[in-house]
Amino acid sequence: MSSDVRFTDFKSDKQPTWCPGCGDFGTMNGMMKALANTGNDPDNTFVVAGIGCSGKIGTYMHSYALHGVHGRALPVGTGVKMARPDIEVMVAGGDGDGYSIGAGHFVHAVRRNVDMTYCVMDNRIYGLTKGQASPTSRSDFETSTTPEGTKQPPVNPLALALASGASFIAQSFSSDAMRHAEIVQKAIEHDGFGFVNVFSPCVTFNDVDTYDYFRDNLVDLEDEDHDPTDYEAAKEVILDSDKEYQGVMYQDENSVPYHEKHGVTEDMSEIPDGAPEDAMDLVREFY
Amino acid sequence: MGGKAQDNMAEDLNWAVGGEAGDGIDSTGKIFAQALARAGRHVFTSKDFASRIRGGYTAYKIRTSVDQVQSVVDRLDILVALTQRTIDENLDELHEGSAIIYDGERSWEAEIPDEMTAVDVPLKSLAEEAGGAIMRNIVALGAACEITGFDVEYLDEALEKRFGGKGSKIVENNKKAARAGQEYVQENYDLSHLGYDLETTDNDYVLLNGNEAVGMGALAAGCRFYAGYPITPATSIMEYLTGRIEEYGGHVVQAEDELSAINMALGGARAGARAMTATSGAGIDLMTETFGLVAQSETPLVIADVQRSGPSTGMPTKQEQGDLNMALYGGHGEVPRFVVAPTSIDECFWKTVEAFNLAEKYQTPVFLVSDLAMSVTEQTFPPEAFDMDAVEIDRGKLVDDDEVDEWLDAQGHFRAHAVTDDGISPRAIPGMTDGAHMSTGLEHDELGRRTEDEDERVQQVDKRNRKVETAREREDWDYREFGDEDADNLVISWGSNEGALAEALEYLEEDGIDVRVISVPYIFPRPDLSDEIEAADETIVVECNATGQFADLIEHDVLTRVKRINKYTGVRFKADELADEITAKLSEEVPAQ
Repeated sequence: MSSDVRFTDFKSDKQPTWCPGCGDFGTMNGMMKALANTGNDPDNTFVVAGIGCSGKIGTYMHSYALHGVHGRALPVGTGVKMARPDIEVMVAGGDGDGYSIGAGHFVHAVRRNVDMTYCVMDNRIYGLTKGQASPTSRSDFETSTTPEGTKQPPVNPLALALASGASFIAQSFSSDAMRHAEIVQKAIEHDGFGFVNVFSPCVTFNDVDTYDYFRDNLVDLEDEDHDPTDYEAAKEVILDSDKEYQGVMYQDENSVPYHEKHGVTEDMSEIPDGAPEDAMDLVREFY
Repeated sequence: MGGKAQDNMAEDLNWAVGGEAGDGIDSTGKIFAQALARAGRHVFTSKDFASRIRGGYTAYKIRTSVDQVQSVVDRLDILVALTQRTIDENLDELHEGSAIIYDGERSWEAEIPDEMTAVDVPLKSLAEEAGGAIMRNIVALGAACEITGFDVEYLDEALEKRFGGKGSKIVENNKKAARAGQEYVQENYDLSHLGYDLETTDNDYVLLNGNEAVGMGALAAGCRFYAGYPITPATSIMEYLTGRIEEYGGHVVQAEDELSAINMALGGARAGARAMTATSGAGIDLMTETFGLVAQSETPLVIADVQRSGPSTGMPTKQEQGDLNMALYGGHGEVPRFVVAPTSIDECFWKTVEAFNLAEKYQTPVFLVSDLAMSVTEQTFPPEAFDMDAVEIDRGKLVDDDEVDEWLDAQGHFRAHAVTDDGISPRAIPGMTDGAHMSTGLEHDELGRRTEDEDERVQQVDKRNRKVETAREREDWDYREFGDEDADNLVISWGSNEGALAEALEYLEEDGIDVRVISVPYIFPRPDLSDEIEAADETIVVECNATGQFADLIEHDVLTRVKRINKYTGVRFKADELADEITAKLSEEVPAQ
């Protein structure tokens, strides 16, 4: 790993097909900066993505990567990290991938506290399928499949993470490039599962949760004297539905990541040329 | 009552213990089986059980002989019955030479047919005298020893193995309980008319089931990462690996569902570990979602399907070979894969080793298709049957750091899906300098990046399929063979029916019927049986399902109609039953072409 890695080293030469102005550009740039700032390089980094606009990220970044099945990015990332604790694992997804089809995996990935980072590009809409309601869409948000709104409360992913026992919960805004990269960097540096919900506006299908909306309404927790190690304070901001916050809401200072709890420290890619030396002991167990 | 089987009585003994689920039936049977194995006798066990923790009939059956045994038969010689239902459930298999051990002091009135020998032993009272009512099954084992002329001391080592962890007092009490049962029968009954006298040998056998063999095979093959979700009857693979894989630096993770399990395993494999998952029933349905991704991203992954009776929840604790089509065709689109179906318990070990090699050599999903009967059946083998020195590991085109450069394009990108003559691309794993690359379920170019270019699409589809053709040429896709090679009658089977078929041959031979048995462990690619079928007058395909999925394949391959023997009662084939079925089937007319 070289110390002179620049964030552009994580960029592939494939031009993104995201709509011009899409929040995902900023989200991805911040992730690349955070990876470079934490001393990683493309050859020791594994990026996992699911399906949706967000899922394309692995193609536009340069690293080891897998673009998998809808909703299952977290399990793939979990497998990579367990087999190779030496590899930096970054999982990316959207609000549909992570909070709808993948919601079950989200809960359990949070519980497991595997030392990886999860950035969700939350645009509160299904973009790739051209504008249907997502789990984070507002209840009165009108779409082609919900002409009168969903009439359901949106999922609060931060609260879902908190209820699942998260050790790191943060939120950022793709357009606030510096803060976004800074927050993702903290998630990477966190000993455990670093979860960042990234407001990543869809300029084509969502005319409510726009750049302007977030610029006007975003409250940065850095300006609020918020202590992320204070669980009660974290709960308060996470459950505050009147405001949109940016920053690290919660960080468990005593977080013990999965590999430490379970003693999973070996590079599992290395195996002998034949059966293990003492393998006949396995047979003798059956006497 | 099996008529033919009577002739065999001197050679093999069929013993069972049965009662309510939760009565400790399984561990009681296992102790007796281990004792027999240590006494140099071969053992083949089977279990009747319901998917309940407590309540419901359950039985553990043992067939034992000094010769190898690999099937159950329709005959029961000694039955330890803890409930009346145990007797009722087995009436068909009991015969006039059978002895039934029961506890007459218990509330139920044992109804035992007059021609059989009822051995009333106060199991509970004797157990209490030895230290606790809980040992009543052990008292029964002692009684069984006396009836069969089997030295009660052979139980000691098995008792030590089972109860050693609970302290020497418990072990001693159990030994005492066994002797109490043995002495009670000795003093109160003269059973010499039954004529049982179990021969022992100096051989020493290991006793294991198919799932344990799969697990041991995985460890021998260097599997380091297992992700799974509990489901009967696959769970015991996961349980075997848990606590053992860590010794080799590996890990078992229990996922939140099968969707997650297969994706975790996929992640482990992409990170460079030999990884596997195993499931059954509806679990394989859920995993189907990811089959295509495994193949499309060219990830080496072993997926074990321990088949059980379906569809839907079906009969979760019953035998069936109903997933053949699922293993061959599951998943949308066209998914290149290998399907391997071990035909015996020792082969569960070797085929698992082979599955890992195939997966890495061809960077393809490998389905290891076993079934419930094999997963719970325990069989004895000489330890050399699992000769670890014979285990070979072939990691295929896994490159090392120096070789990465040979596979870079002009811009320095690693060509993870390079189009090659044999279809196999180089494989770099995370951490290798300049090996960074993308893989995806989308159609992609050589670099793993999305493409919808017609030429690239065709190149990638062809190269993935070419791997299968390469494997067809390079590997041995042999079948196993039993009986008379020149016989006019050919019986073909896949998976776990092999043992019952091999033993059915003995019955058929007694009746003067010559049969050649071909047992096929490779379902895709599979051996071409055209010549063998053409050489035979009659071909019968035997399998545990209703529609004859393998028979369909064979007919498709050779364009000839075959006869079929299908069993879908939820119970595996028995050797004598199969002999009768084959005899009957041979007299039927050949199906129209």
